[in-house]
Amino acid sequence: MLWLYLHFPQLLLDHINRSRQEVTPLAIITGAQPQVIQACLAARQQGVQPGMPLKTAFNLAPDLAMVRMDEDQQTRILEQQAHWLYRYLDRITLYPPDGLLAEVSSVQKLYRGLENTLSLLTEALQQHQLSAHPAMGLTPFAARLTARTGHGICSADTGELERAVAALPLSAAEFDPRTLQRLTRLGLTRLREVFDLPATELARRLTPEVLAHVQRIQGRRPDPQVTWQPPHHFRQRADFAQDIEQAQSLLFALKRILGELENDLRWRQQDTDSLLLVLHHRHHEATRLRLRTTGPEHRADAFMNLLRIRFEQQPLVAPVYQLELVVKRFLSRQPDQHQDLLEQGGSPQEAWNTLISRLQARLGEQALSQLSPRADHRPERAWSADRLQAQHNNALPAASDRQLTPPRPLWLLSKPQPLTVTPGVWLAGPERICGGWWDGQKVQRDYYTAQLPSGQLAWVFRDVREGWFIHGWFG
Amino acid sequence: MNELLDSLMQDARLWQGYQPSRTSPPAAPSGFAELDRLLGNTGWPRGALSECLMDAPGIGELQLVLPLLQQLSRAQQTVFWLNPPHIPYAPALAREGVDLDQLVVIHTDNRQDLLWTMENCLRSPVTGLVMAWPETLLSRDIRRLQLAAEAGNNLCLLFRHRKLAEQSSPAALRLELTPGQHQGLDLKILKRRGGWPGQSCTLAVNNRGESVQPDPSPVRVIERH
Repeated sequence: MLWLYLHFPQLLLDHINRSRQEVTPLAIITGAQPQVIQACLAARQQGVQPGMPLKTAFNLAPDLAMVRMDEDQQTRILEQQAHWLYRYLDRITLYPPDGLLAEVSSVQKLYRGLENTLSLLTEALQQHQLSAHPAMGLTPFAARLTARTGHGICSADTGELERAVAALPLSAAEFDPRTLQRLTRLGLTRLREVFDLPATELARRLTPEVLAHVQRIQGRRPDPQVTWQPPHHFRQRADFAQDIEQAQSLLFALKRILGELENDLRWRQQDTDSLLLVLHHRHHEATRLRLRTTGPEHRADAFMNLLRIRFEQQPLVAPVYQLELVVKRFLSRQPDQHQDLLEQGGSPQEAWNTLISRLQARLGEQALSQLSPRADHRPERAWSADRLQAQHNNALPAASDRQLTPPRPLWLLSKPQPLTVTPGVWLAGPERICGGWWDGQKVQRDYYTAQLPSGQLAWVFRDVREGWFIHGWFG
Repeated sequence: MNELLDSLMQDARLWQGYQPSRTSPPAAPSGFAELDRLLGNTGWPRGALSECLMDAPGIGELQLVLPLLQQLSRAQQTVFWLNPPHIPYAPALAREGVDLDQLVVIHTDNRQDLLWTMENCLRSPVTGLVMAWPETLLSRDIRRLQLAAEAGNNLCLLFRHRKLAEQSSPAALRLELTPGQHQGLDLKILKRRGGWPGQSCTLAVNNRGESVQPDPSPVRVIERH
């Protein structure tokens, strides 16, 4: 078996840099006595180096932006990377906070050779703007140790890999400090010298744990790996070095995330119709924006347009330091029936979905409704306004028999109005409508069609108790 | 005099203004022969705005567009109702054979939203007709909508108050609707692109409330209760 380990020396820095439009010096700091641990290219050009105290760094680069190291956050970012790396690699194991292991002998065949695999991976890493130190090893542990030195080798040659591990200095072998000290005192400097010691002696003089450690590097002791399973949802975050105050500035980061969503959906061969965008504010409750499209969608542009409309309508309540995009609902992709080779432009279905999604994004979902009749005797309950269906129903209307159904006005008043004038002409009626005794909303009314002196044709009723009302207009 | 005119017309030496030009603008038949004749034998103008000016609902204004609704909804084209003054009553529309799946009712909070929505609807290829009941519209708003209707080659009907009849409007067609004799609908053309104003007709929309035999003496029925 051949293992590949990817070490991300500046994962948090790369992650934040991706969401930034402008190139200004940026550093990741840690510790009570703040110290720079990761510095971007712009910062390094001004002389800021990892390991430098923050004060010195500030003197070198006065406009330095800084972010405090957060291991949990970096672990989450690592998982995001595993998400897309899963498309290239098999059996991924996460080594939080900054590394990731994969088994490559099985995918070699897929990509026709190790070189192809590596060049594909390098390209993908560049595309995601990630700096990584890759290394191969015959055991997971050996791969990890060589990768972390930053000078790992990528080769399938067993002898070469063994030599590379053996040549590692003891300080790079991740012994605990006490063991490292004792081994150094024995006059040992390289792992090779430890490998040469008899196993029994090593266990007796030091501890059995040290022997296990060494044997795991060599592959003489099993080292089971927990493989990572991709979750059944899409979740991406963007963190900002400076808080974002304008919604328009969020769009840059969102564009990249939506692009990744599009890739993810394409890879899954699925669509979605609902996105959740969470904007985290420092001193304010997080804003949760739910974005729905009318039909299944996967294109980043379509989501982007809707978000743009949404942000125009809804300015930010507070500055944003982190945003998160979550998609949990996936729909199977429908083959487009309307589209053929000759037809330019989208299908009517797609145009309908685009229009309705746009309108809903600006006006809110409740602003749009569709009407349908309901089976109830009471006129005010004989209809309903429903939220627009995601699927455009192409069924033809049920043929209703004009002769059998009584006439109804085309306009219904939302609330019956008292009839204040005496109608001039009585045209039809009475039609008694009585019902609702089963749910407590009892009505007993006699309906007439009458023309008011103003010329309007009204649907009026006489309630048993309360008198005369207008309930609709024959428009 | 008449003989002279006839001879001039037969010789094709006299040009008649009311005849539709060969390149008549696209239009949708209104479903009423009298109205189509007034509109130059075409119908509702496509790619343009039409205004219906009236005092109050209930005079047959929806009967006027009902043939259009039936025809468009069966052709799977969407009809948008923007800010209708009352509830479009689903059982009545279904009874008239309108496909309810093709109707979308939209309520907007302000003029900007209304204009934005109308423009988007008018430009979309799925739209058949946009009907709107705007509160206030400026002349430049109407011009904007006119451009959107032209871009999408769609029908747009604005229902506005009759007091606006005296104001000018860039709409291509303006109709004044008033209740007529025997529950009919009187219709007067205030403006028509490529035609003369001032013609009028009465549409028989008087059967809209009927089908049950009218009671001969409903007043007595009321008194009995």
